[in-house]
Amino acid sequence: MGVFVFLPLVLPLTAWPIARLAEQRLHPRTATRLLTGLAVVMAVCSTVCLGLLMVVGTAQLPGNPLPDGWSDPEVREAVPYDEIAGKLAIPALLAVLLVCGRTLWRHRRVRRRAHLALADLPGTEVAVLPDEVPYAYALPGGRRDRVVVTTALLSCLEPAERRALFAHERAHLAARHHRFLLAARLAARANPFLRPLCTAVSYTAERWADEEAARVVGSRRAVACAIGKAALVSRGTPVPTLAGLAAPGPVPRRVAALLGPAPVPRTWPSVFTSVGLAAWGAAAGTAVSALSSANSAVTMVLILHAATPL
Amino acid sequence: MTDQRQRPPRRGQGELEAQILSALRAAEGPATAGWVQERLGGDLAYTTVITILTRLLAKGAVTRERVGRSFVWTPASDEAGLAARRMRRVLDGERDREAVLASFVTSLEPNDERLLRELLAHSEAQRED
Repeated sequence: MGVFVFLPLVLPLTAWPIARLAEQRLHPRTATRLLTGLAVVMAVCSTVCLGLLMVVGTAQLPGNPLPDGWSDPEVREAVPYDEIAGKLAIPALLAVLLVCGRTLWRHRRVRRRAHLALADLPGTEVAVLPDEVPYAYALPGGRRDRVVVTTALLSCLEPAERRALFAHERAHLAARHHRFLLAARLAARANPFLRPLCTAVSYTAERWADEEAARVVGSRRAVACAIGKAALVSRGTPVPTLAGLAAPGPVPRRVAALLGPAPVPRTWPSVFTSVGLAAWGAAAGTAVSALSSANSAVTMVLILHAATPL
Repeated sequence: MTDQRQRPPRRGQGELEAQILSALRAAEGPATAGWVQERLGGDLAYTTVITILTRLLAKGAVTRERVGRSFVWTPASDEAGLAARRMRRVLDGERDREAVLASFVTSLEPNDERLLRELLAHSEAQRED
């Protein structure tokens, strides 16, 4: 398998251009699906390869309780630089499993506790909470999906903007955006090179809900105003950044996009545009990633099979 | 050592709090812990009632006032208020809640605020044209 086993670890870099371009050039629905798909496939391939390297690594451990074939010299020779790579792969794989497990566990806990907090309220879809802190969340799962919004946020919006807010949160729930977000997040945990994709997916999922809300309410302006006002009243915690250098954050970009023309839904961009080139580049990277991890896995299984006396 | 007596099933977490809170709501005006204990049928120890009331006080669900040598208790909020407080605790307790619950808006950076005001003002001006 040679160098192929290392490729899926770095191939996520091929998805960086599309992560950057898809935000502006693709319909948010297409972008969310595409980026999440790329991220998941690349994360699985990279984890499989870490697992294969780990086999080589554990073979070097003195007194390992593994099958004899595991520590056969042939197994080690299958990987270049087996001494270093094998040893590094053990803690890396453990870290990936640990971090992903913790992310999943936290995700479940937040959802469970949030539903528990609302348990005494009547089981309506919208839960309005009397609170002076303005916030709104889409809360999936539980007995039923819920939209949580505080009186403080509602009171600063006009009727059309409130409709836009509810339409936005319902769009999150209807399209199961939390699954895309969780998948992208787990992928970014499995391979840090996938982090730009995770950031991009959390932005495009919001844009997707914005566009859906604009379609339901029939006014892009109302959605833009709702987002703008909500952001201005809830700016409680300024994030320390270098203000002069900071690029516009996600909220102004969303508002600007809504004040512009509606995005055109297209299934796959032409290869002759920069975004098309980036998309094809990422698709090629993903394909190579899948092929090399499959190739490495098959090779490793064959070697282990041959090395195990039956 | 085993307990031979039949014990009532253990109450779920928060169930006692809800019972005591609804008893307090049924009271006309402030009530003492003794009154709450009586109201609930007496299978609760006085100290338990005090403990739960103190816990509710910490959560902001009840208020108390000193009258003579003891306290009188008043419920502070209804179910919605209590749910709001519980929700806030969940949200404040989770560092990366944004990842789990897609928030309507994320925090603004200093530059964003100016940009956002400009965008909104611009769109307002366009509508008036």
